[in-house]
Amino acid sequence: MAQVTPGIYEVQVDKNYCKACGLCVAWCPQDVLADDDEGYPFAPHLEKCINCKLCERHCPDFAIEIIAPSEVLVIEDILAEGA
Amino acid sequence: MKVQTSFIIKEYLRPEMLPSTWCGGCGLGIIMGAIAQAVHFKGLDKDNVAMVSGIGCTGRMSGYMDFNTIHTTHGRAPAFATGLKMARPEMTVLTVMGDGDAMSIGGNHLIHAMRRNIGMVAIVVNNSVYGLTGGQTSPTTPIGGHTTTAQSGSFERPMNLEALARTAGAAFYARATVNHTAALTKLIERALDVSGFALVEIISNCHVLFGKMNQMAEASKMIAAMDEDTQRTNPTLLRRADLPIRLTSPESPSAPVHELTEMEDVEDESRTWRGVMFERKGSVDLSKRYYDMLGKIHAQQRAAEEAN
Ligand SMILES: Cc1ncc(C[n+]2csc(CCOP(=O)(O)OP(=O)(O)O)c2C)c(N)n1
Ligand code: SF4
Ligand code: SF4
Ligand code: SF4
Ligand SMILES: [Mg+2]
Repeated sequence: MAQVTPGIYEVQVDKNYCKACGLCVAWCPQDVLADDDEGYPFAPHLEKCINCKLCERHCPDFAIEIIAPSEVLVIEDILAEGA
Repeated sequence: MKVQTSFIIKEYLRPEMLPSTWCGGCGLGIIMGAIAQAVHFKGLDKDNVAMVSGIGCTGRMSGYMDFNTIHTTHGRAPAFATGLKMARPEMTVLTVMGDGDAMSIGGNHLIHAMRRNIGMVAIVVNNSVYGLTGGQTSPTTPIGGHTTTAQSGSFERPMNLEALARTAGAAFYARATVNHTAALTKLIERALDVSGFALVEIISNCHVLFGKMNQMAEASKMIAAMDEDTQRTNPTLLRRADLPIRLTSPESPSAPVHELTEMEDVEDESRTWRGVMFERKGSVDLSKRYYDMLGKIHAQQRAAEEAN
């Protein structure tokens, strides 16, 4: 079982793709994200991120990505193990 | 197995075409991501996948996805897709249409593609209006829904696409929303397994037109409402035969429920159902039946020649 350790993940927002729609902020269950002055998301509470990827899944523009440290099992590894 | 967004962008989309022209927060992007994931999880070779789309905001999807793509004329996507599948039956064909595209101008093509049970996954993005042309009433606008052509609320009966698909002869029907993203991907995957015509209706948000006129101008608010307005089907109950035709919306016409088999434990709910609505067992794609028949005729001809 992969462990979830809040606080080790990084949030990356690509402003070339982001349309400041607010869906990621609305969907984050941990209140990690907030809108900046221009409406783009940033992560004032990064320490609470649990890598659930709901922000990624609800982003219509593929602009937000949660990066896990390389030593942490990421979803694709877990799925590959099960396959 | 990869589900990272950066992987999807590189592998299944055309980054040079992005960002899309869709409004910020439009569910069409979420649907595009779900299609990419479903194709990836199924292990399909993207060069063996074709996407055929019609006209509308939804129709633009074929420009952004890195499959073999055709952006056809309004309403005619099922006709182009039928020709493609008959000529190249080994291809996985995805036909993407808006609600207006599929049910207004393209209704006839859709009915006959379902009647023929031709092998394709038809994605019908139901956002209750004509998005591209400015938010006019569509065949799925709910009664009382305000649109630019129904300023005091629509009074027409919306279409029950599920009942139509069932009677026309489609092999599979599922309903998803852009709120329930994991199920969205899974249902497209299920549709990709079907031999024959598999339809996935996806409830999406046009918050800038329909939402704005109906107190849901924010994308997040409109997508959140999809959870309150829908309810998940019970997969165990659905496996039983003879299901009542479930309503797509409380006002849409359906077969009278009392004439259909009574089911225990199923309450007549006014909320829209999501999940797999029906799946015809033993369905075989028309193109496969056609080439099998052709093979048999050729074998008979050869046998007759040899006998002479
Ligand atoms: C033959 C023809 N008639 C009408 C139009 C104008 N038109 C373009 S898109 C559209 C409707 C789009 O609505 P829908 O299919 O629901 O797609 P959406 O934009 O909502 O995704 C219409 C009527 C057209 N392009 N071609
Ligand atoms: S991965 Fe989950 S917890 Fe972390 S920012 Fe995204 S939605 Fe919030
Ligand atoms: S959901 Fe995506 S496009 Fe919308 S604000 Fe968040 S990162 Fe930007
Ligand atoms: S007009 Fe509506 S359907 Fe079209 S991109 Fe904008 S929100 Fe989406
Ligand atoms: Mg529409």
